[in-house]
Amino acid sequence: MKPTSLAELRDAVRDSTGTLLVKGAGTASGWAGTPTGVDHELETTGLTGIVAYNPADMTVAVRAGTRFSKLQEELAANGQRIALDPARVQAGATVGGLIATADSGPLRHGYGGPRDLLIGVTMVLADGTVARSGGHVIKNVAGYDLGKLLCGSFGTLGVIAEAVLRVHPLPPATRTVSIPCDVTEAVELTGRILEARLEPAALEWYGGALHARYEGLESSVELRAAATPGGTVDHEASRVWDGEFVVRCGSRPSQLPAVAKHATAITSSVAVGVHTLAVDSATAVERLRDEFELTVCRRPAGSDLPAWGRPHPAVPLMRAVKQRFDPAGRLGPGRFAPWF
Amino acid sequence: MSLDALRDELTEVLRDGVITDPAHLRTYECDALTGYRVVPALVALPRDAAQVAAAVRACAAHGVPFVARGAGTGLSGGALPTADGIVISLQRLRRVVDVDPVDRRATVEPGVTNLDISLAAARYGLYYSPDPSSQQVCTIGGNVAENSGGAHCLKYGFTANHILAIDVVLPDGTPTRLGGDAPHQAGYDLLGAFVGTEGTLGIVTGVVVRLLHTPATVRTLVADFDSTKDAGDAVTAIIAAGILPAAIEMMDNLAIQAVNATVDAGFDPDTAALLIVELDGPADEVQARFTELLEKCTRATRVTVARDAAHRAQIWQGRKAAFAAVGRLSPNYFVQDGVVPRTRLGEALTRIAAMGDAAGIRVANVFHAGDGNLHPLVLYSEARGEHDRAEALSTAIAELCVELGGSLSGEHGIGTDKACSMPRMFSADDLATMQRLRAAFDPRGLCNPGKVFPTPRLCGERPGPYRPHPLEAAGVIERL
Repeated sequence: MKPTSLAELRDAVRDSTGTLLVKGAGTASGWAGTPTGVDHELETTGLTGIVAYNPADMTVAVRAGTRFSKLQEELAANGQRIALDPARVQAGATVGGLIATADSGPLRHGYGGPRDLLIGVTMVLADGTVARSGGHVIKNVAGYDLGKLLCGSFGTLGVIAEAVLRVHPLPPATRTVSIPCDVTEAVELTGRILEARLEPAALEWYGGALHARYEGLESSVELRAAATPGGTVDHEASRVWDGEFVVRCGSRPSQLPAVAKHATAITSSVAVGVHTLAVDSATAVERLRDEFELTVCRRPAGSDLPAWGRPHPAVPLMRAVKQRFDPAGRLGPGRFAPWF
Repeated sequence: MSLDALRDELTEVLRDGVITDPAHLRTYECDALTGYRVVPALVALPRDAAQVAAAVRACAAHGVPFVARGAGTGLSGGALPTADGIVISLQRLRRVVDVDPVDRRATVEPGVTNLDISLAAARYGLYYSPDPSSQQVCTIGGNVAENSGGAHCLKYGFTANHILAIDVVLPDGTPTRLGGDAPHQAGYDLLGAFVGTEGTLGIVTGVVVRLLHTPATVRTLVADFDSTKDAGDAVTAIIAAGILPAAIEMMDNLAIQAVNATVDAGFDPDTAALLIVELDGPADEVQARFTELLEKCTRATRVTVARDAAHRAQIWQGRKAAFAAVGRLSPNYFVQDGVVPRTRLGEALTRIAAMGDAAGIRVANVFHAGDGNLHPLVLYSEARGEHDRAEALSTAIAELCVELGGSLSGEHGIGTDKACSMPRMFSADDLATMQRLRAAFDPRGLCNPGKVFPTPRLCGERPGPYRPHPLEAAGVIERL
């Protein structure tokens, strides 16, 4: 099924029976649990285009199947952007897919993840109900924020049809300073850069260096780059997505060294404590999972490694929410196995 | 339900932490939306998370509804008690458990005030960013419930963007934790969904907040304009230039007059409107942007740049005194809190003025212009019998915001006050879907019932006027 409008999407959900797997561009299809017993695939890539965009309001409403890179192009024409830069964007990830997987990149340091940029959402529930929350203004506390609930829901609570996102101005200039160091030094350097009030937009460790990205006026980024402690090197690109097993994991920022020791490659938003790791075996993933909350994003075909670890304290609540939103269990079966 | 049995059970657990005396119970009959008053059946004052859980378990066992309460500074009746239920006050949970300068976070109990977090973090050069005007007294637990904002949220975001984890007692008495050590969660973002639900999903007993380094430089200006339209156009020009100020506030002449009668903030009494614009960040960035900012204020009749920190504090004191100061102009007033898209600010102000004229009621405007969050103050006299007209005007203004593509509330919440306007903004399906979330947390509906969502009983009742909170009248708190 590949609806091209909200009405078609609603009808597709309402008039079908059996289970549904929501699918965007497929760039994260290996993330989370492997779908099981899927009756229909529901492709969102027919739901494309901007619904409403008034640059002076600094918000944009967009259909969920729109390629994120396409959206960024249209915003860039007005000197604007969504301050979100997950690696998958280059592979064609959709707006809805990035929300459903709560994905983000180095800019999470300065701007947060999809949860922090999503200000309104339109969703279709498993019974065909069309529901909206939030709105088109940045500041809004009217009603429950269902958009946040959908962040990290992997298509199991409802189908994201439209999203309203906060827009930021494109910075006039950027500079990235790469400081060769190990992960322990990266934690210490991060503290020093923040204490110096240099306000980097991103502080990412990968490929043997801490990369501090500055955004702002030309003169300002130049000065801040020059004031950054440490030297500069030509850095190698992140190899993290080359790994056989890839996981995303969260920790206290200072625990980076403890996380990194499990990895063959790692990219880490050091000040935030969100890491993406390449890991060489299922056993290593299991060891990591004993200590930290993680999402498995890639595993070799045929691997029976469960996507989720020991249930965290809020898993019973997740089950209760799932039960209320999708009592028949139609959406994304298997995505949260073994939890539900 | 059995209130007598509940009282005995709570007394056993909480000892002196149970209020039953009718005179003392009246202290809890309202929050800062003083027009709604309900005396609760009793009040519980737990000392720690375990006692909160015990109190909630007892309520669940006896089928008695309960309402959590922090400092009672809420402006939407979110902490209004129910007559057949209890209030659980978090005032005794006020420990700053830990400030961690390495991982830049603080762990606090819910009764800690917003400002006390920043004070505890100050020795490390850190602070807690969201700054509601009541920050000297409002509690972090209440901030989590309301997703509180403030003048500096334009750049830095709201409460929801600054909370890493919360300990929660669920409505059946089960303690749990939402969020974690990092903003990566395995599964649904229940933390994000919880913040701003106005105390309807559970009671917060612990909060881990993100701390930021105080900015290197702060620069502030006051720009006077001949009309609110010119001031609004300047806001649009600033934003369009790609400048993201820490704050942009607007006041109209009526609000300026009120302030000038109360404090000396140096505001020109004859100006039609003024903007307070503040930039912060690295020195060179702020300096260059400040020059650009001045260029965007070409239509200003006068621009005053804050000379130093003391002058800046004086300007902000003027801004923050506006609500209480309006009491000088009018014996009674309603405080409204709506949001419009930034580009419709001028239209909104024009229409609000016309609506005020048509109703024969004065409206003062003080607001967060940068994010379109209006705070019209509807001035009236109870003695002259203007209450009903003023109340109708205030509601009509909130609903106008929705009509213009905005929201019923930017930071004060829906609570009891605006529940009946929710159908203006959301369809029955939208509201029913939100209720699914509520039912997942609170299937029996015992946790802060009657808030946020319209109910026939509530919407048949009439709201009352704004009266200053006792702490506000005493000059202890201010509000935006």
